[in-house]
Amino acid sequence: MARPTQLPTRIYRGVVWLAFGIIAANLVYLQVVKQQHFKDQATDNVEVSQRVRAPRGNILDRDGIVLADNVFRSSIVLKRSCLKDGVPDSTLSRLMDWYGLDPEETVDRLAHQLDSDRPKLVLVADASMAQIALLEENLRVLPGAALDARPWRRYRHGALFAHVIGYTGEVTADEVAESRRQNADFPTFLSGFTRGREGVETIREDVLRGQDGSIILAVDANGIEVGREPRVTRTARQGQDVRLTLSAPLQEALSDAMAGRPGCAVALALPSGDVLAAVSLPTYDTNLFTRGISSEDWQSLLGDGDHPLLNRIVQATYPPGSPYKIVTSLSALENGAAVRSSRFDPCLGGYQFGNRVFHCWNRNGHGNLNHGEALVHSCDVFYYQVVQLLTLEQIRKTALALGLGARTGVPFHGEAAGIVPDGAWYDDRFGPRRWTRGVLLNNAIGQGELLVTPIQMAVLTGRIALGDANFSPHFILDDQRIRATPAPLPFREANLDWVRKTMHQVVDIGTGVKARLEAVDVAGKTGTSQNPHGEDHAWFVCFAPAKDPQVAFVVILEQGGSGGAEAAPVAARWLIDYFESVGTRMGES
Amino acid sequence: MRTRNDGASSDTILLYVLYVLFCLFSLMILWSVTEGIQGSYQQVDPVVSKSIFWRQAVWILLGWVALLMASRVPLHWLEVSAPLAYLVMIGALVLVLLTAPEVAGSRRWFALGPLRLQPSEPAKVVLILVLAKTFSRHVAHGRRLLPQTAGWLLTMIPLALVLKEPDLGTSLVFAAILLGVVFWHGLSWVILLSALSPLVSAVISFYSDRVLEGQPWPWGLYLMLVLAILFVARRGLIESFLLVLANIVGGIGTNIFWAGLKGYQQARILSFFQPEKFQHDAGYQAIQSKIAIGSGGLFGTHYLQGTQKGLAFLPERHTDFIFSVVGEELGLLGTIGLLGLFLILIMRGLSIASAARKPFNSLLAIGIVSYFTFHVVVNVSITTGLLPVTGLPLPFMSYGGSNFLVSSFLLGLLINVGSRSFEK
Repeated sequence: MARPTQLPTRIYRGVVWLAFGIIAANLVYLQVVKQQHFKDQATDNVEVSQRVRAPRGNILDRDGIVLADNVFRSSIVLKRSCLKDGVPDSTLSRLMDWYGLDPEETVDRLAHQLDSDRPKLVLVADASMAQIALLEENLRVLPGAALDARPWRRYRHGALFAHVIGYTGEVTADEVAESRRQNADFPTFLSGFTRGREGVETIREDVLRGQDGSIILAVDANGIEVGREPRVTRTARQGQDVRLTLSAPLQEALSDAMAGRPGCAVALALPSGDVLAAVSLPTYDTNLFTRGISSEDWQSLLGDGDHPLLNRIVQATYPPGSPYKIVTSLSALENGAAVRSSRFDPCLGGYQFGNRVFHCWNRNGHGNLNHGEALVHSCDVFYYQVVQLLTLEQIRKTALALGLGARTGVPFHGEAAGIVPDGAWYDDRFGPRRWTRGVLLNNAIGQGELLVTPIQMAVLTGRIALGDANFSPHFILDDQRIRATPAPLPFREANLDWVRKTMHQVVDIGTGVKARLEAVDVAGKTGTSQNPHGEDHAWFVCFAPAKDPQVAFVVILEQGGSGGAEAAPVAARWLIDYFESVGTRMGES
Repeated sequence: MRTRNDGASSDTILLYVLYVLFCLFSLMILWSVTEGIQGSYQQVDPVVSKSIFWRQAVWILLGWVALLMASRVPLHWLEVSAPLAYLVMIGALVLVLLTAPEVAGSRRWFALGPLRLQPSEPAKVVLILVLAKTFSRHVAHGRRLLPQTAGWLLTMIPLALVLKEPDLGTSLVFAAILLGVVFWHGLSWVILLSALSPLVSAVISFYSDRVLEGQPWPWGLYLMLVLAILFVARRGLIESFLLVLANIVGGIGTNIFWAGLKGYQQARILSFFQPEKFQHDAGYQAIQSKIAIGSGGLFGTHYLQGTQKGLAFLPERHTDFIFSVVGEELGLLGTIGLLGLFLILIMRGLSIASAARKPFNSLLAIGIVSYFTFHVVVNVSITTGLLPVTGLPLPFMSYGGSNFLVSSFLLGLLINVGSRSFEK
């Protein structure tokens, strides 16, 4: 057997020393040489950088009433590893059981989220207090589950401002990739973030968004916060508020005045061009979009034949109809085709031009009318005759000066330019020489190929009222960039003044009497534009007071019938509310 | 010649002192492990709760009883009863395979009321006794082949049973005990080399094939090294041929063996060679353990302050990976200090083994020393990333009753042998 001096003892001792030597050397290597490396890794283990979402700026009306703000809502989120190959782990299974979620549907939904690169899966988007409490009490047995509180957009008035404010929606994969390219360390957008998708939310995205921050949290191995004070590495700043030119009470009044009929109406303050109210109907609840609209809701919005998503104020074009007679009259006066007292052949309900009869809207005929009376009673036959003394180009020039045929420059996407055709346009449309001066007759009464947007008609009305060639609309109050200084219209003041007075008569004794108010003189023009697809569109454009205009107003009711009967009362209803709001005592009209 | 054991000679007093130190050290670390992190408002992991500390305190009290009993028991009683104990042990190991509930893919425990009994732990004691008895009977005759063959057979049966549970760590402990006893009994280095070199060949072949993805040059280099050693040592042609053949078989056989391993075993071994690849799976424990130890530095994060321990990044921190907690909180000072205590224990055990004049006593002592050496070296190597992860507690330190009682009992036997060094 071995003895202390014998070989086996010494070998055994040597082997033990060698093993302990290697271990000790390795310990020195780990704990001294590589100490810093492992300290950093230990810190990495414990410290988790977390993004602090900056709330979006609020959207206010012109008087500071909040239209869009944020509410903090808690989502219940899971680590991506909670769903592996379509199989829920114990955390997910437990939560589905406790919350009574349908396992099949839930797994399906989460698997869909796994396809994106979002860091967490959203199990419950807007958790109730009971759901939150259940989670927080049981965090220990729910590794991978967490609460994610973040600001959600809330539209206080739902559908009322939909087409102006728009909505926010989730960013696309492309936008996330692009923002990563721009700033890899701290991209503006990560998967699941939202940004403005329509309206002012998009137009003012940069201002509203604010600056996200980040904090460093201490967590344990399950990623659960351990209650140390978080360290702020980047301060979050809320986005700035954006103030609209619109007024919430006036918007509500306009919506009430429209009584839900499809069409739109817009009211501009004079001389500023501030849009006081703008309603496009039908509309939709923008709150649907903030949490990610369901595909059924989206499909039903898209498939709705009344096109609720369409912002009719700037995106829809209509034949202008009789309000265009303002353009024809003004053009005739300016170009010497007619004076204020001009008379033509009396109106017998129709007018023979070549081998075609052009009808007056009043089939019984207006009889013998002078220029002013023709505008007041909207006699088509008068305009068929006066327009023959004008060229297409002359009317067109007048129309363009009043803001038709070109975008008004409001920042909404998809603004239509409308059409004020010239000879080249007709050549293009019908072929050279394949059209006659007959198109002029249609042009004269705002029919034919003419197309305008409601906002253009509002600009036209405002320009007539003010004589300001640069008058244009604004939706955002702090928008100083595009406020042009006033410049006179290229028309004689006397002619403009005559048009204004005649428009007052339209409301006083003519087709627009239903817009007459007791306390305020209203100057306007009705229109019943023929609609090849159905009932006539009912137009009414006006400004008030006639002598000292403060507001321009335009309304169109799609397939609404007669402008005088249907559209003018809408204007009256809104104008009463408007003038009451600015302190004018309104009597019964 | 002393026949009575008074248990108080200078040789053995040191072992008592070491035992007290280990018990206190273990309790101190377990207290910290069950504390959670300082400044946190919540208990981090209810699995590692204070009750673990108090339970281990009870085990330590029982351990003292085991130690005192073992240090006083007449050793020839054990020698006589070893064969019977061996049969009971085999029976228990078979029974556990047949009846024990499957926990995490393996059958290791009997449930006896509130207690969980792991027969593979006392099996270590029985194996040491039976090997000591087998080898000691033939010392006088100078014959080696018979006891060695018997020893191998006696070890392989329980080893195979434990491997079937499966419990790789414990089966390796059996092998280590056998190797220690065989070596102590007397073995030429050529035989040792012959026995070990195919194993080394297997590891290198595996490394070439799996980790370097089929580059055979390290294995080729190793074979040439073996040839060179044989040439320098002037071994005979046939002997050399057989050895080289064994090496080649070992190298090729490893791939066949590999295919027979379970998935998690394969992952553990692969993760040892490439922990980064298995960061979140099998390599997680190894990486987290190294982070904890490395971040401790020279003096540690101070007692109770370890974040990796406190925040539960360290798996099995109260059992197999308790050394990592020592490393994190007490630094190099703590790890070297603890290793030093174990080194003193092993060296003292070695001198007891070589001083013992009765072959049974000496072989018993070396078996015990081999047990402690293997447990300590392999456990610490695992926690420091030198060896692949396999379940093996650190004696006296890790939480767990079975191993603590067995370690205490074995230390008691070592003290017993030490106090009878003149017994023949």
